Amino acid sequence: MTAVLMCLLAMLGLQLLTPYWWWVMIVPFAFGAAAARSGWKAFGTCFFAAGLLWLGTSLFLYLTGSGLIASRMASMFGLGKSWLMVVVTALIAAVAAGVSGYTGYVVRTLVKKPAK
Amino acid sequence: MRWVRAIVSLVLAATVFWGLDNRHGTFPAQGKLLNPFAGFWQNGSRSDAVPEKLVVPGLRDEVRVVWDARRVPHIFARNDHDLYLAQGYIAASLRLWQMEFQALYTAGRISEVVGPVGLKQDIFTRRFGLPWAAENTVRALRDHPKTREIVDAFTSGVNAYIRTLDRKDLPVEYKILDYRPEPWTDYKCALLLKAMSYSLASYNRDAIMTKARAALGEETLDRLFPFFPPLVPPVIPPETLLDFTPLPVPTRSGAERGRGNKDGESGHPADSRLSSTPSDAGGFESPGYRTGPGIGSNNWALSGKLTRDGFPILSNDMHLELSLPAIWYEVQLSAPGVNVRGVAFPAVPLAVAGYNEDVAWGFTNGTDDVLDWYDITFKDDSRTEYLYGGEWRKTTVREEKIKVRGGATVVDRVVFTHHGPVVRQKDEPPFINMNVPPDAALRWLAHDASNELLTLYALNRARNYADYVQALETWDCPAQNIVYADREGTIAIWHDGKFPLRWKGQGRYVLDGSDPADEWRGWIPHGQVPHVKNPERGFISSANQLPTGPDYPYYVGWDYASFERAARINEILAAARDVTPSDMVGMQADVLDIRARAILPRLLDSIKGKPATEAEKKSFEELRAWNFEARAALIAPTIFREFWNELNRLTWEDEKTRDMERMPWPASQVMVDQILNHPEGNFFDDAGTDGTVETLTDLAELAFRAAVANLEKRLGPWGDAWRWGKVKGTRLRHVARIPGFGREKLEADGVGHVIGAIDTVWAPSWRMVVELGPEVKAWGNYPGGQSGNPGSRFYDDFVDDWASGKSYELVFLRSADEPDPRIVGRTVMRGGK
Repeated sequence: MTAVLMCLLAMLGLQLLTPYWWWVMIVPFAFGAAAARSGWKAFGTCFFAAGLLWLGTSLFLYLTGSGLIASRMASMFGLGKSWLMVVVTALIAAVAAGVSGYTGYVVRTLVKKPAK
Repeated sequence: MRWVRAIVSLVLAATVFWGLDNRHGTFPAQGKLLNPFAGFWQNGSRSDAVPEKLVVPGLRDEVRVVWDARRVPHIFARNDHDLYLAQGYIAASLRLWQMEFQALYTAGRISEVVGPVGLKQDIFTRRFGLPWAAENTVRALRDHPKTREIVDAFTSGVNAYIRTLDRKDLPVEYKILDYRPEPWTDYKCALLLKAMSYSLASYNRDAIMTKARAALGEETLDRLFPFFPPLVPPVIPPETLLDFTPLPVPTRSGAERGRGNKDGESGHPADSRLSSTPSDAGGFESPGYRTGPGIGSNNWALSGKLTRDGFPILSNDMHLELSLPAIWYEVQLSAPGVNVRGVAFPAVPLAVAGYNEDVAWGFTNGTDDVLDWYDITFKDDSRTEYLYGGEWRKTTVREEKIKVRGGATVVDRVVFTHHGPVVRQKDEPPFINMNVPPDAALRWLAHDASNELLTLYALNRARNYADYVQALETWDCPAQNIVYADREGTIAIWHDGKFPLRWKGQGRYVLDGSDPADEWRGWIPHGQVPHVKNPERGFISSANQLPTGPDYPYYVGWDYASFERAARINEILAAARDVTPSDMVGMQADVLDIRARAILPRLLDSIKGKPATEAEKKSFEELRAWNFEARAALIAPTIFREFWNELNRLTWEDEKTRDMERMPWPASQVMVDQILNHPEGNFFDDAGTDGTVETLTDLAELAFRAAVANLEKRLGPWGDAWRWGKVKGTRLRHVARIPGFGREKLEADGVGHVIGAIDTVWAPSWRMVVELGPEVKAWGNYPGGQSGNPGSRFYDDFVDDWASGKSYELVFLRSADEPDPRIVGRTVMRGGK
């Protein structure tokens, strides 16, 4: 839980300071490489951290003035309901972060065998 | 094993990264777009908040902007420079993406944004010489100190706004298409002026008419396409006396000798595709800016003797292809010497149509012939030399380098003669944009340097009729019927533009590029263009129809709008007394179809008792009970349109002979005249049946049956799906055709040939009624909203009221301090360091 929160806060800070989306891949990679105890934990932690970050942020924006643009984007993508954009947003971040966190972990295992 | 797992994992992560960071075809880069911190989520309505203070580098003094509840900016500056700089800043803050996209489109650079899918369009745009035309025009804008000042200030304002934008602040379309705005330039303003000329002054049927002449002969065409058609009341009332001594008019020399044979041979079988062929490929297809007969605009003005309060009233609705963001935005521009309110193009400084404290003016398109094709005889396929006046002249080549996103740069070599560019070579396939004759050079007035902004500058500041007339002197293209009214009680209309001196009919067919006698020979002096001031009847009007009757000494064109809107406007105004502005707002939404009123009783008479099937009987009854109004809820307009089309098809298509792919249909007034006055005439005889002679009665029955059968096939059984509003399905598509960003299937009354001309994609783009009393008052509306942000509620908030014919009383302030309950916010702009 602490790991999820740390990861989330790191991404939040970097995302607020810069316009780049890929912090949700860089931070998880670093976490996976530096701190994860297993591949699955790396994946899960990063999946939830990034997913929650993008879910929370997009949901907040959805409810405070971005509902109309979300509904237009939803019809652009052929999705029936505007709230699906929140789901898609969260899922994209979660999956990208999970994959990246897992990759960070397995790359580390090449250098150093996991402590068991 | 660990290595394999790591490599697979790395490849997967890299793929995810690459996949989310890049566009795939037209599919956006998901990572960038969905990122809640900088992607589309940032384009909500929070950006609608009005800023109280802005630092805008370049301003010399303070500028105050007052915003009304419809989000119209009322800009108050202390000098012209600041006024147009502020306009540029505000326009960009409302519509930046649209401004730049239209400029790229007209520059033939759309492939830079959308990739190879834009290439065909870019090649056409450049072959047609639009970037070249804008280069000529920007030189004229720079050459005049006033327009130079205005355009430079406007450009600084747009760039000042662009510099404030972080990635998260970019309009959402930049994020979807994944690119960034480049600096604005005066050249882009010029491009937009040329885009208007293309939209309004490039429609032509020269190629198809040339084929028709070769097959049918000139005499038949002169009957089917008369220069002075029946039923059409010219813009300038025929009793108007000339107030000038005309120049000698050129006559047709030997130039057209023996052209018939040559025309017969000249072409590719696909030449005869009409330019109006719709392209509905989806994606980023061309906007199909075409204005054909029957689509256009209305304007009129009444003198005070016809109005209830004794003040002149001016009315204007300009019909253009609908889009979102809308083509116009509303603005008030005020500085010492000017206080004008109206609509403007986002990418161009000044107000285009509107009013100030003394006068009002508005436009309808002239649709005169200022575009000709010249057949070129090249020495050989290298196209380096062409025949002219018995000698070989050298061509020049303009290399067009078209950058393509995700592909190699394409170099297109456009061959130029002294007439202009060769748009399509003999061995090339036709363009979908226009019916372009092969190996012909384009002579188009819009290619010439001109400075229409100077006209707008002067009109914005006009105080009286003399100012207005002087302002019009620099208006070259596109030719317009510019209606005028002022507080002194004057009403006037000038059919204004630069017109080549021609023999009657010159340029109706493809001309001979080797014969100097076929060239344009000078210009009609500006003071001699068709015009009328304070006519006896107390009103003036135009609806894109023929400008003058046969008494006018010059020939300016032949392919004008059909009679319906003009005749209906004049019919209403001729009977008008005690008119109020709200009567005029109502009249702009008049949907009485006088074509139907003229011929339907006659047609129904011919088919009485003949309807056999259930659907035919119901359709017949529907038409018989119809009040001739093109209402969305009615079925009759649907049946009538199909009936009319079938009748035309049956009447005209069999006239086609030899290698004609298509028969150009005569204008509706010719058909109406045939029906009313020549029902036994030989055009109704089906050339395909030997021995029997068909008359109108026979054709009407066939056409009616076919129409009902077509509708059943297309729309299903007689019922709700046949209602006109549904069938017509008015749509406002997004400028880049992004699905979900437009408005589809809007149900609105009207059809292209009635005053309330809401058709499927063409419709009134700005409606305005101005009463010129002691305090000028005005009403207006347009299909769209002030904001270009699809995530803002101001993006399309006028659309429903517009569709139901409602106009708003416009806020027009005398000063920035004037109170008005509709003011919702104020911004103070100051220059930076």
